[in-house]
Amino acid sequence: MSFTDLFVSFWWLIFPVFGMGMGFWGMISSERRSARVLDLIKSYVDQGKEPPAELLKLATSDEELVVNSPTGRRQNNAWSFVVFAALAAGFGVGYYFVRAEDYAFAFLIVAVVMAVMAVGALFIVLTSRANDK
Amino acid sequence: MVELFRDFWWLMFPMFGMLMAVIHALKDNARQDAILRDARTQLERKP
Repeated sequence: MSFTDLFVSFWWLIFPVFGMGMGFWGMISSERRSARVLDLIKSYVDQGKEPPAELLKLATSDEELVVNSPTGRRQNNAWSFVVFAALAAGFGVGYYFVRAEDYAFAFLIVAVVMAVMAVGALFIVLTSRANDK
Repeated sequence: MVELFRDFWWLMFPMFGMLMAVIHALKDNARQDAILRDARTQLERKP
């Protein structure tokens, strides 16, 4: 089997491997940074000094800050809706172009899953807005 | 090789996205390292 054949058969593995690599790297670096931040904050407290605001912000990561505020949560869900809707549209168009092929069902499945996710995200945005009032 | 490119030219776009994600992650890491370095320098400075 040549490299070309191998690539043609397994090109799709690029995405899960990349995702796993980034996830693993993010987990390791986040763990290491949290330990360093806490250690530094402890040193500040031991010396009776006020830790810098940026350091405290690092301790509660940006993601947590966004997730914990109602506005941030709504923006997150709105963005999820946009992403899933775009993916559903993209895979829907892909399905339309290859609908005569044997593998067209794969595009349709992904498009339907993405559409369901988009509808779910939209539902969460709308219900959270109603709950905040 | 030309055939491979003709079949998979569209992979350029997700590849570009992945490259941007890696660059973004590296820049974010560098920013956080800079904050930690500054905080440590500030801590070690005599009052």
